[in-house]
Amino acid sequence: MLVVTDLVTEFSSVKALDGITFKAKAGLITTVIGANGAGKSTLLRTISGLEKPTSGSVKWFDHELTGKSVEAIVRGGIAQVPEGHAVISQLSVAENIELGGLFRKRSHKGDLVRAKREVFELFPILFERRDQQAGSLSGGERQMLAISRALVSRPKLLLLDEPSLGLAPLIAAQIINIINELCRSTGLTVLLVEQNANTALAVADHGILLSLGKVVANLPADELIADSSLRAAYLGY
Amino acid sequence: MTSFLTAFFSGTAQGAIYALVSLGLVLVWRGAGVVNFAQMGQAMFTTYIASQLIQHDYSYWSAFVVALFSGAVLGALVDLGLMRPLTSRKNLKSLNSESMRTAIPVIASLGILGILKSLAGIFWAGEERGFPSPIEPTAIKIGSTNLAITGFDLFVIGVVFLALGLTTIFFTRTGVGLAMRASALNPEVTRLSGIKVGSVRTLGWAISGTVSSLAGLLVTPRTNLSPNTLDLLLIIGFTAAVVGGLTSLAGSVLGGFILGYVISFVSVYSAPENVFIAILIFLLLALFLRPQGILGSKEVRRV
Amino acid sequence: MSKSISLKHKVIGRRSTLLAILLFLFFIALSKQFDPYNQAQLANIATLLIAVLSITLLTGASGQISLGQGAIMAVGGYASALLVTRLGYSMWLSFILAIFVSALFGLFLGLAAARLSGPYLAGTTLVMALAIPSIAVRFEPFFGGDVGINVDYGNPPRWLTSFVGKISIEEWSLYVVLPFTALALFAVLNLSNTRAGRTWRAVRDNEVSAALAGINIGRTKVIVFVCASGLAGLAGALYGFRGLVGPSVYPTDLSLTLLTAAVIGGLRSIGGAIFGTFTVVFLPDLIERITSTFEVPGAIANYLPGLAIGTLLLLTVILNPSGAAGLNERIHHRIKKTISKSGGH
Ligand SMILES: Nc1ncnc2c1ncn2[C@@H]1O[C@H](COP(=O)(O)OP(=O)(O)OP(=O)(O)O)[C@@H](O)[C@H]1O
Ligand SMILES: [Mg+2]
Repeated sequence: MLVVTDLVTEFSSVKALDGITFKAKAGLITTVIGANGAGKSTLLRTISGLEKPTSGSVKWFDHELTGKSVEAIVRGGIAQVPEGHAVISQLSVAENIELGGLFRKRSHKGDLVRAKREVFELFPILFERRDQQAGSLSGGERQMLAISRALVSRPKLLLLDEPSLGLAPLIAAQIINIINELCRSTGLTVLLVEQNANTALAVADHGILLSLGKVVANLPADELIADSSLRAAYLGY
Repeated sequence: MTSFLTAFFSGTAQGAIYALVSLGLVLVWRGAGVVNFAQMGQAMFTTYIASQLIQHDYSYWSAFVVALFSGAVLGALVDLGLMRPLTSRKNLKSLNSESMRTAIPVIASLGILGILKSLAGIFWAGEERGFPSPIEPTAIKIGSTNLAITGFDLFVIGVVFLALGLTTIFFTRTGVGLAMRASALNPEVTRLSGIKVGSVRTLGWAISGTVSSLAGLLVTPRTNLSPNTLDLLLIIGFTAAVVGGLTSLAGSVLGGFILGYVISFVSVYSAPENVFIAILIFLLLALFLRPQGILGSKEVRRV
Repeated sequence: MSKSISLKHKVIGRRSTLLAILLFLFFIALSKQFDPYNQAQLANIATLLIAVLSITLLTGASGQISLGQGAIMAVGGYASALLVTRLGYSMWLSFILAIFVSALFGLFLGLAAARLSGPYLAGTTLVMALAIPSIAVRFEPFFGGDVGINVDYGNPPRWLTSFVGKISIEEWSLYVVLPFTALALFAVLNLSNTRAGRTWRAVRDNEVSAALAGINIGRTKVIVFVCASGLAGLAGALYGFRGLVGPSVYPTDLSLTLLTAAVIGGLRSIGGAIFGTFTVVFLPDLIERITSTFEVPGAIANYLPGLAIGTLLLLTVILNPSGAAGLNERIHHRIKKTISKSGGH
């Protein structure tokens, strides 16, 4: 279980996170929604160690994550798919995937081979394109690659930052569905950040609404979907 | 014809050395965003170490290995002891200016250069001394005709190609090589893949130290050794790196060879005094015509 | 609002005039205490200060680094020497024209160096600095080869000697250089308060946000470099006043010395530039005095100035990247803090 308590992250003068508290249950999908600048990305980046919080704590089961390095957090089973289809475009598709499992190359050689095979089964298109430069992929394929890169590290907690950003609704739904299936079949814990509340909340178990660095709603996903006044107030639709 | 062949072969041998220097510069530039102006100062220092060993009756090859190793250590030390703390988050926050942050490492590398040169001068008295080569620099003969290439040239070319081959294998076939390329291209995604970008960067400094140390060993038999001899090499290496494209390892090697030919043809067909003007003109032309270099990526700015 | 700003401007303008005049008087007063050697050193400082100010302007205001400011000095030096010896221009006019020639040169170099992003300027200027001897030799009939061009800028004019009595050539050189130094100081001090100065600082601090604010980054950088080149060219022309303009007058080390002076003083500060210039000119003398009292062997003593300067550079970037001027600021800050704390108790 991921437990975030009173998390504050500041950038020079801006308080991007202003005392965030919530829990994300293991094996379930928790979706974080909020308008532009609400602090969603900052939340994920603080959990994965890319940003250092000013105060507060992030706990993954018994492990305190704040103060640890990004590498240590990743090696502890927490993988992030950053905003904007973050792959290394000058490397090939296969190399991008290889990169995700590199730190386990010595210790889990056999499992790494299995993990790579699994992501290729999950996204067969990537297998076809494995020798192509990642920069030449379409937006959807790139997002699949970014997710694959994260999955070969065999995470227990997957942090996804707006995976549907800039994708056609059909592709976006397809990606969200794959995440959903993965979660249900393997027990992966997912923290999913989206602006597009409908598709993301539809597969989620729990929903959190952020605004200006604060949690304004923390409800089961179906209740959050149903609450049109909240949506109107904070998302504007 | 003979002068053409002479220029060609000596250009290849010189170009091979410039390729190493340029490769060393690009490795650190890509990995750490710093042009290390102390690079050839480090190489000068390790060549002196080798020279000391040889004077104390150690074999050329043991001195050779020790020099390469100390090149790696020196490179790593520069990163760990200086560059990493200087570019650490905390330190950078105190400098609330973006471009100052890029200026500081350059200044630091100039400081190191000054210190290394003076220390070499103080330790080793600073007069020029020769540096041996394992193979005599005399022309190879077939029957009684002299070829335009010396045994030493062949040795240099052979060693450099071996080094370049090993580097290529390292970068394309090994996991650490992949990690190095990845962290140069996108440190954030690399860190999110669980790779210690800091250590990878230090390794880059170490490899750069080793290749430039090798360049020092290979060039000094021809130029003699003094605290300042390798300055020239840095400039040529820099030009080669710009010509090849600062962001591309293959480009840096290509640039090195191109510069080798430019310099050697200018000194054979024109006069050795004109070499510098040729370098300058070549650099300015390269910057005007193709600022991103021959193989460099279009995006000149690092973000 | 706008009134208060213009008021502030005036105050600052007045203050910088005052400062420039004070420095002028200080140098003259100092020169009266000195023997000819140190008078020449003082003239050196006054000259180099202009070049150091050009780096302060370049790096401090726009964040670019030049490792070949000495090469640009050489451009100014050769320009003025050629104007005087070939075309018979007057000394003063040749100095002024040298500013324009080197500014033009800076424009060309600035456009070449990929609009000065990344490490290109540092490397290109370094290549420039190393190429000077080679250029001088290649065009020997014009530039005078390894030796360079001998110039005689003439003796002190009669009205001056009749006014202050007989003065040494060293003192005369000081009188020639000082007005330019004062002017340069005045210009740089005022520039940082103008609209242009603010634009430059914006570029230095954050290129992305400066670009978003509608500033043309490439053009701004080139303009800064052109201004800095003009200043450096002036310094180079004045440097030739000692009678020779040639490769040995503008060695590669000169460029590094200038950068060192700017860095140890604090790249952003004009007071720092003055401090740094004094340091790099007098440090070798000081070291020589120390080594001769302790009878350090020459082979070692030769390298001590280099060691000292390298160490100073490193220590500056490690301990205090904003240089001596920053240190000064920090101490002030701490004192203020301590005072306010003890006042609170
Ligand atoms: N590196 C940074 N430096 C300064 N401010 C930042 C930085 N990163 C984020 N911020 C600020 O923090 C706030 C939250 O940003 P964040 O990126 O977390 O929002 P978000 O919810 O992910 O928005 P979006 O939906 O647009 O991705 C914003 O006001 C933003 O300007
Ligand atoms: Mg975001």
